[in-house]
Amino acid sequence: MTDAPSLTRRQAALGLLASAVSLSACGKPAEEIVPYVEQPERIVPGVPLRFATSLALNGYGRGVIVSSIEGRPTKVEGNAGHPASLGSTDAFAEAAVLSLYDPDRSRAVREGTRIASWDGFLTALRPRLRRFEATGGEGLRLLTGHVTSPTLLRLMGQVQARYPAMRWHGYEPIGDSNARAGAVLAFGRPLASLAQLDRAVVVLALDADPLGPGPDQIRHARGFAAHRTARWENKAALSRFYAAEPVLTATGAKADHRLAATPTLVRDLAIALASRLGSGRPAPVLPPEAQRFLDAAAADLQSRPGEALVLVGEWQPPEVHALAHWINARLGAPVEHIEPVGPAEPPAPLDALIEALAAKQVDTLVVLGANPAYDASAGFAQALGGSGAFSVHFGPYHDETAALCRWHLPESHPLEDWGDLRATDGTASLAQPLILPLYNTRSAPWLLGALLGTDEATAHAAVRDTWAAQRPPETFEAWWRQVLHDGVVADSAAPRVTPPPSALPDLAPPVAPAELTLVLRPDPSVWDGCFANNAWLQECPKPLTRQVWGNAAMLSPEDARRRKLSNGDVVRLALGGRQIDAPVLVRPGTAPGVVALTLGYGRRRAGAIGDGLGADAYALRSPDAPWIMAGLTMEGTGGRTNLLFEQPDRRLEGEARALFPTVRADELARGESRPPVWPPSLNPDRVSDTHAWAMVIDTSLCIGCNACVIACQSENNVPVVGPDEVARGREMHWLRIDTYDLGPPEDPRPGFQPVPCMHCEHAPCEPVCPVEASIHDAEGLNVQVYNRCIGTRFCQANCPYKVRRFNWFGYADGQEYANQGAPVLAAQRNPEVTVRARGVMEKCTYCTQRISAARRSAEREGREIGAREVVTACQSACPSQAITFGDLKHPDSPITALRREPQHYALLGHLGTRPRTTYLAAVRNPNPAAEEGGS
Amino acid sequence: MAQIFPRYANTLARAVLLGAAVLLVGGLGLLIAMPYTSHATRQDIVIEQPIQFSHEHHVGGLGVACRYCHTSVEQSRFAGIPPTHTCMTCHSQIWTNAAILAPVRRSLAENAPIHWQRVHVLPDYVFFDHSVHVTNGVGCSTCHGAIDTMPQVRQVAPLTMGWCLDCHRNPAPNLRPASEIYDMDWKPPADQAERGPALLAHYGIKPEHLTDCSRCHR
Amino acid sequence: MSGAGGLLPQGASYGGLVSTVADPLMLRPAGRRYWIAFGVTFVMTLGFVGCIAWLFIKGIGIFGNNTTIVWGFPIANYVWWVGIGNAGTLISSMLLLTRQPWRAAINRFAEAMTLFAVSIAGLFPILHLGRPYLAYWLAPYPNTMQLWPQWRSALVWDFWAILAYLLFSIMFFTLGLLPDLATLRDRAETRAGQVVYGALAMGWRGSARHWALHDSVYRAMAAMAVPLVVSVHSVVGMDFAAGLMPGWQESIFPPYFVVGALFSGFAMVVLLAALMRRGFGLESVLTTRHFESMAKVILAASIVMGLSYLTEWFMSWYAGERAERTFLIHQLTGDDAALYWSMLACNVLAPHVLWFTRARRSVAILIVVSLLVNVGMWMERILIIWDTLSHDYLPSMWRPWYATIWDWAVLAGSLGFFAFMFMCFARLLPVVAMHDLSRLLYRQRGGA
Repeated sequence: MTDAPSLTRRQAALGLLASAVSLSACGKPAEEIVPYVEQPERIVPGVPLRFATSLALNGYGRGVIVSSIEGRPTKVEGNAGHPASLGSTDAFAEAAVLSLYDPDRSRAVREGTRIASWDGFLTALRPRLRRFEATGGEGLRLLTGHVTSPTLLRLMGQVQARYPAMRWHGYEPIGDSNARAGAVLAFGRPLASLAQLDRAVVVLALDADPLGPGPDQIRHARGFAAHRTARWENKAALSRFYAAEPVLTATGAKADHRLAATPTLVRDLAIALASRLGSGRPAPVLPPEAQRFLDAAAADLQSRPGEALVLVGEWQPPEVHALAHWINARLGAPVEHIEPVGPAEPPAPLDALIEALAAKQVDTLVVLGANPAYDASAGFAQALGGSGAFSVHFGPYHDETAALCRWHLPESHPLEDWGDLRATDGTASLAQPLILPLYNTRSAPWLLGALLGTDEATAHAAVRDTWAAQRPPETFEAWWRQVLHDGVVADSAAPRVTPPPSALPDLAPPVAPAELTLVLRPDPSVWDGCFANNAWLQECPKPLTRQVWGNAAMLSPEDARRRKLSNGDVVRLALGGRQIDAPVLVRPGTAPGVVALTLGYGRRRAGAIGDGLGADAYALRSPDAPWIMAGLTMEGTGGRTNLLFEQPDRRLEGEARALFPTVRADELARGESRPPVWPPSLNPDRVSDTHAWAMVIDTSLCIGCNACVIACQSENNVPVVGPDEVARGREMHWLRIDTYDLGPPEDPRPGFQPVPCMHCEHAPCEPVCPVEASIHDAEGLNVQVYNRCIGTRFCQANCPYKVRRFNWFGYADGQEYANQGAPVLAAQRNPEVTVRARGVMEKCTYCTQRISAARRSAEREGREIGAREVVTACQSACPSQAITFGDLKHPDSPITALRREPQHYALLGHLGTRPRTTYLAAVRNPNPAAEEGGS
Repeated sequence: MAQIFPRYANTLARAVLLGAAVLLVGGLGLLIAMPYTSHATRQDIVIEQPIQFSHEHHVGGLGVACRYCHTSVEQSRFAGIPPTHTCMTCHSQIWTNAAILAPVRRSLAENAPIHWQRVHVLPDYVFFDHSVHVTNGVGCSTCHGAIDTMPQVRQVAPLTMGWCLDCHRNPAPNLRPASEIYDMDWKPPADQAERGPALLAHYGIKPEHLTDCSRCHR
Repeated sequence: MSGAGGLLPQGASYGGLVSTVADPLMLRPAGRRYWIAFGVTFVMTLGFVGCIAWLFIKGIGIFGNNTTIVWGFPIANYVWWVGIGNAGTLISSMLLLTRQPWRAAINRFAEAMTLFAVSIAGLFPILHLGRPYLAYWLAPYPNTMQLWPQWRSALVWDFWAILAYLLFSIMFFTLGLLPDLATLRDRAETRAGQVVYGALAMGWRGSARHWALHDSVYRAMAAMAVPLVVSVHSVVGMDFAAGLMPGWQESIFPPYFVVGALFSGFAMVVLLAALMRRGFGLESVLTTRHFESMAKVILAASIVMGLSYLTEWFMSWYAGERAERTFLIHQLTGDDAALYWSMLACNVLAPHVLWFTRARRSVAILIVVSLLVNVGMWMERILIIWDTLSHDYLPSMWRPWYATIWDWAVLAGSLGFFAFMFMCFARLLPVVAMHDLSRLLYRQRGGA
């Protein structure tokens, strides 16, 4: 199996080679046109097709719609019909298309270190299977991640039935064990609870981050937006958020009142709140600030029965979850309960497998979609090494676990094969292939089929069988086609169950507060580490810290001061005999006494992109308390590393505070609606006799999730520059989310301000360009003509918003970072957008290719462009719908009304640039009762 | 002392000065003129193709319609090059053994696409869309010339940016009624001066914005 | 300063003057010191060429610039070199028009300096381009794209300013050179020398008619030179003043840049004068009186510079714009504050030693001051770029800036190239205008 050719051959067969458009192709080289031999139906060269499919995060499905151009998937967008997408995406979904073309994907079956064949594997497997049929599968072990796929569950059921003695183990590094246990404590059985933010007006988040990354982020963000979309005409009351948390999260950033609380204090708050609501348990003594916080929150919660909600993060121990269930029951909170999504009874834990391996009871181990050698406690690796078991790893990368297993089987990318998934609310959706497997890979159903003795099982057949079994054959075809079209199985959501009256948990005695507590979190860029080799995500500035290409141990400024540590100092974190070195990142808003670290870094076999970045937090993780570990010790090693940020400066003080205006809800109600007023100008006004495109970004809705950033990157062929270039202060993101700390260090109250190009009507970049490469078009776009640009960079020098990006090297043009120049990645490029050459300036174009597409189809059909026809990539990605784009000239365009809002403002408007991209100020809804608390 | 320079030195000096000036001006002029030459624009160059396909024979002679092969010209940026199957719809019946068609048969047999050489090459940063042109009154022959008379397709127009702009600045003289788009020997009628503006209105073309950079460059 | 007292050696004769200048070229061999210096500068020049080659291969990214601070050393070098380039023509033209007798001895190599400095300055705007091979797009010429340069852009003004100034300087230089070339032709020992200098002298015979024409043309050009020189650096100033950035959009920039140019230019002339004097034993014609006059100009310029800085600070505060104030604070206290203060020390403080006659007459002190001034002026150029770009309107994009080895290499290379060209000039052409000296002597002896 060679590397690149397989693709180029396929591309040829896939029609016109219009793929990577590159400025470097100036002049007129000989070009070929390679038509089909037999043109597939529906494929019109140059016209993208869009298919509904679904992608998994932690095993849960999120419906997406993927654009495919001449058979190459190039862009992921949300599926409005899917409850976990609602038409939007998150950073992980957007980046999936890059993983598809990842040059480091495993391409070959391996036995040990040498390349083998699928048949070779089967011949090695068969004798064992025969033996297992005799022994009923004694010694056969299956290890998977969290499985929700009906098809996989069905097949694994069959495997179990065939080998009754087989044992199935499940391990998910970012699982829901605490929530499950909490539910058991409260209801006596593991119910999954779905908070309905869209029905809640008072929310108390106890170390919970509904707006943070996760399978439910989009749904929660939309629910959050439902009660935070402050508009002048609808004077509806805004919801109010309280957050108590050890580490600053998106939820904490958006909250009206936030308390930096150690995990133990969070627990005490829960107990105190419960007793306030009549639990009859003694309320712990709280520090005055926490007491004020609780008083305000409790009063607010009680005042809105049926609309008040308490959320607890997975990180908290079960008893706190149980307390929350009890409190929510008392408040009649908008929470829905369902039977847990996934297998009926949970698989055996990983520890059992490790014991079995250590005891040499495992004859054959099949690892399916898990990487325990990296993301589980070190025990697994040793046990597997010594067990001598016939171990098979099935996964997309030859990762840490694969390296330990006897066999490695390459798995197809989700966009390459059939499958099905369930969302967090149980809704089932199908995954259909957008492209034939690029390499000789197969998918999970094939492997399970092999265990069942059928060598040629296909995912397609398996998925169809699963669903055909539940329908009358005569209607099935039509139904199947409908589901493929919608991407969702209608009415497949899990039935809501009314939980039994929740019991109060008996609380463990309060533990003595440790000096330092380690708090682990999923990483907003690489999640649990599975996205470590995705260059887009690695270079995506993490929300709130804007760090890239690594993680860091976050401290409160107090602790940093006390220990004389500053950003970049390397410290040694030790816990229960385990220890790692990590650089320090001083993050205001972290509770004193807390050290926070994100998972997913320190990968050893991720690939050219992900290897050796950051610190491996798993090394400190203890299986019994996976998220919060007291008794951490930390001392400086004297070493220093250079932390990489795309925004070194996050303070916004004094007069600069005006750059991020915030409004109180009551002030907003008093404001009046008027069109934007600009300072007088000597330049002639731009009067447009055609469309006038404009964008309004509502900063009170932006949760800084980065979906827009990655969406922009994949839509517009924006290259990554790599850590070395970032260290030199260079980046390429067209859209950045400026994150400012608006408050004092103890209460930073960050604000998110996405900054694309402002498309100024009086653009400072235009008159200074000596060759008119930066120029206005009739529709108000500030156009950057790459092929005219000679690279004087005067435009960026003169841009007050600094939104322009320069190709210092050929980032996309022969000088790519690491493996980003691999030919296979050219297939991801959007053929409607020029790939910029070295030495030219580029910037946000308002997705001019989408405007052009709309204009051209309108011209073809002799009609006008619709009010909502043009949707920019960032807009379509935004989970909270903070971004609105439209035509100021169009009567039904929502944009005009937004620009009349009282809280509407233009960034640096006083300069007279008359930006077309404008903002709505962040509306806060603090509780008057708690104001003096500073909260 | 002896004269250093002979008599003719003055003349020589003047000649040298003059020559230098001429060389400078002439050289610059040449550099400026170069891009306009057909050498630079690749006009009227016949490119060797894997198959000697003759538009003269198929279009001029047999009268095969443009869209029979270039199917996507009205929906897509690309007019579309016919798949091997399109050729075989006829050539499975006629000229089944013609040597000239061997590559086509091989392509079908081996399921290997035919590698045509591109004749009309635009830089990759130019986004030309066939569909909006043919649906807005710009006919094939306006840019491609009388294809039906070409045994081997060659590029007749310079395809320079200036040439595009000539029409984008003032499209009226080149617009045709929808019925005549595929007419290979369409000549502007005598009253094109009146028809042009009428067609502009009919197609709803706003010429004042046709020269925006964003129309062709993204 | 009129009257030629102390500008010429006692008992100077026409022949004496000419041979002081011409003999080093004609008779004396170069000597070891010269060849060593020549070798060094030649190597540096090769290094310069190497850097440029590497720059074209690897791309502009080898410099320290980043997303926020998109301009760096190349632009600073450009402004600095243009500044130096200004002095030469100013000296020979303005001093000619104002009939300054002390012009005679220094104008020649000052003009040469101008020529070299401006041609180097002209390189940098091209070197700093992302796509230098398209630099010719700044020139208006009929093309198949039917596109023209953008006349509103200060960079296009620059293009014309530099081009015009370079061509003018060449013409002015050669015109002034003609009589001396003839002299060399006549004094040349070798046939080659005779032919070469003869050809260049274009048949100058020194007839009355020749002199009459020469004078009128020369004066006319001098009259044209003054506004040109002033306009050139005003335009350079507008590169920044036409911008919107705090610290740039200041109407004082054009005059302030012109004075700055005069300032650094004269400093450079002093350095070169000292070198020539030593190297060619021109003590008799480059007298302390010359140095004293130049010292006074430097002092005056430095005072004006000081005033300009004061005005800048006042306006930053008076403008009432947040960004302007933040910028000023950053300038005075920020990361590059040390650089800024040392810049002030060099440009505003150091020259004040020249109030003392002894200092003005001491070549050593003058050399030190001039060096400081040139360094100071370069620091000013780079700070104008760093301070503004690193701290403009949005704190989110504030970034530090670090120079790379290549930034320094190119700067050093340009200096070496300059020195190299000057070395060649010094051995091939008379470094002092012999005919101007003779004329001075004539006047001194009471001639009209």
